[in-house]
Amino acid sequence: MRKEMIVLIALIALAMISGVSMAQDCASADVLCVGLVTDVGEIDDKSFNQSAWEGVQLAASELGAQVEYIETQDAKDYLTNISLFADNGYDIIVTVGFALGEATVEAAGQYPDIKFIGVDQFQGATVDNVAGLIFPEDKSGFLAGALAGMLTQTGTIAAVLGTDLVPPVVAFKEGYEAGARYVNYDINLISTYHPGGLDVAFTDPEWGASTARQAIDLGADVVFGAGGKTGNGALIEVAGTAGLYCIGVDTDQWETVPEAHPCLVSSAMKLITPGVFDIIQSVVDGSFAGGNVIGAVGLAPFHDFEDSVPQDIKDRLESIRGLLESDAISTGYNPGG
Amino acid sequence: MAMQATEQEVRGTFGERLAGFWRAASVPLMAILLAALIGAIILIISGANPIDAYAALFRGSFSNARAIGRTLEKATPLILAGLAVAFAFKGGLFNIGGQGQLLIGAIVAAALGFGLNGLPFIIHMPIALLGGALAGAFYASIAGALKAFTGAHEVITTIMLNFVAINITDFLSNGPWKDTGIVARTPAILETAAIPKWDSIPLGFFIAAAVAIIIWYLLFRTTLGFEIRTVGLNPNAAKYAGIRVARITILTMAISGLLAGMGGSIETLGVVGRFQPGFNIGLGFDGITIALLARTHPLGVIPAAILLGAMQAGSSQMQFDAKVSFEIIDVIQALILFFVSAEMIVRWILRIRGEGDGGVRLSSGWGQG
Repeated sequence: MRKEMIVLIALIALAMISGVSMAQDCASADVLCVGLVTDVGEIDDKSFNQSAWEGVQLAASELGAQVEYIETQDAKDYLTNISLFADNGYDIIVTVGFALGEATVEAAGQYPDIKFIGVDQFQGATVDNVAGLIFPEDKSGFLAGALAGMLTQTGTIAAVLGTDLVPPVVAFKEGYEAGARYVNYDINLISTYHPGGLDVAFTDPEWGASTARQAIDLGADVVFGAGGKTGNGALIEVAGTAGLYCIGVDTDQWETVPEAHPCLVSSAMKLITPGVFDIIQSVVDGSFAGGNVIGAVGLAPFHDFEDSVPQDIKDRLESIRGLLESDAISTGYNPGG
Repeated sequence: MAMQATEQEVRGTFGERLAGFWRAASVPLMAILLAALIGAIILIISGANPIDAYAALFRGSFSNARAIGRTLEKATPLILAGLAVAFAFKGGLFNIGGQGQLLIGAIVAAALGFGLNGLPFIIHMPIALLGGALAGAFYASIAGALKAFTGAHEVITTIMLNFVAINITDFLSNGPWKDTGIVARTPAILETAAIPKWDSIPLGFFIAAAVAIIIWYLLFRTTLGFEIRTVGLNPNAAKYAGIRVARITILTMAISGLLAGMGGSIETLGVVGRFQPGFNIGLGFDGITIALLARTHPLGVIPAAILLGAMQAGSSQMQFDAKVSFEIIDVIQALILFFVSAEMIVRWILRIRGEGDGGVRLSSGWGQG
């Protein structure tokens, strides 16, 4: 048995040494290669990673790019994963999530010929080959809050949020509250952050559901769920009670959380997919520039609620959107302070 | 007197020691092989070529100096987290709180790393390293004291203290010790507190390996180690033999926490460079896998940690070259743990195939490595 074992081990070892490396044509200047590195999490997270990847896939179909992604398992591997693409001659590397910001800028210094797109990465100082795609989440949240403030019958609305360790979540919350007060100054707000660490804050639908339930018991009739699966748990819980509204986050959650259809009036969106694609396009046509690129935000379509949301609410939202865009009204959110 | 008996039992002749080594190592080795084979079957079913995948995994973890550096970097906290669990096992305690002790160690090391100014490297780095380790020791001794004085089971208390640690560190890194800017994390440690790398080889690894040898010596060559193991085997007998069980219990937890805390320290000072929530997830729990794979032997922890470290270091390369999701690594890791725990299955396979091997010991408990 020992002999068999030794033969087996030798065979495996041999196979490893002779392992063929993949043919890479990315080193060639004619081939546009786009790589994407996710934040810790999965590519099909129905949120950030997925939306950014869809933008990259759009580059594959529209621009004929060769595309590939790596899912990050450990936050300490960001630079390693970026380097895998860089060392294989990729032309554009998309990194998803504010947590990759530092690693992206560091890699940009090491690989000056490669263009980097950092989704959700605010650029404090401009680096020539890094475009940070950022979104004014507070404005998106402001619209959601205004909608909630106009829809509520009880005068109480709620937000079920991921952790305040993540700045965009804070921006959504502050914007939501400001938007609600903007349309209804005396509104009663119940906003709750998940109390756990980063490892659970976005993956705790049970907590989201029970927190939404508590808010409903306190009289809330519109609930904003902003925090990955935690927020989705809140949406689904709200859907279980007739006559209530819920609002999703990041993407149009009508597509991603069908269980929430009975209450999902809209979602506070960040338009990541077109944002990523547009920057890739700018690299191809030579107009790429480093620094911050501000992506579009907005509310998702009302879908089944299209007819039940009164026209005057729709008109008011449209005017608020215009005012926000021209900075005629402020959300009051100031991340630096 | 008792001391001499153990030393003889431990040392034996060279042949006996070799046989003993094979007895101890055969199950983990077989478990790894079985896990790799089942992993290969899963890869085939999911449409990937297992040879390509394993080859890429190997390339990503050992093929050049950078890859080896990455492997050792991953292995370093795993050695210490594994030692923490293994050491507590020897004292009859199951420390599930390695994760919490590691977090506390990591943030205290960060605070000492950015907070102390004007010290030279030769003083600053050791202070930060030991400060983090001692914080871990203090944190674990809470569970030890609860066990010693009230009988509260350490499995329950250490699990609960993990959550307390997560929230303490989140609060500190998003509150009093927060860096300027919007990101929740501490400031970067000063240059004088950083554990350097020699080329791409992290020196923290050698600190961890040296600690493993010290722990082995402590357990098997000192009176304190003998007392700890005696309490682990039978606390009542230990009490009648005149050992102060409560004191040993607290001390065992404290040393276990010291090890986990040092794992966090080295992560902060040698890898991350600051404390940031989300950067040290899962290490404490991997420590349990490592300790079981090493059969709770302090020296066995080193190869076990290098194996898991290599799998983690190579997983990105595997994704890139072989288009295999990193989740397969978790599956293989879980299978290894399964086969090491389900020792009977492995021994049965070994005996069926290995005729003429003679007496296979079927009974073996933790702490008899």
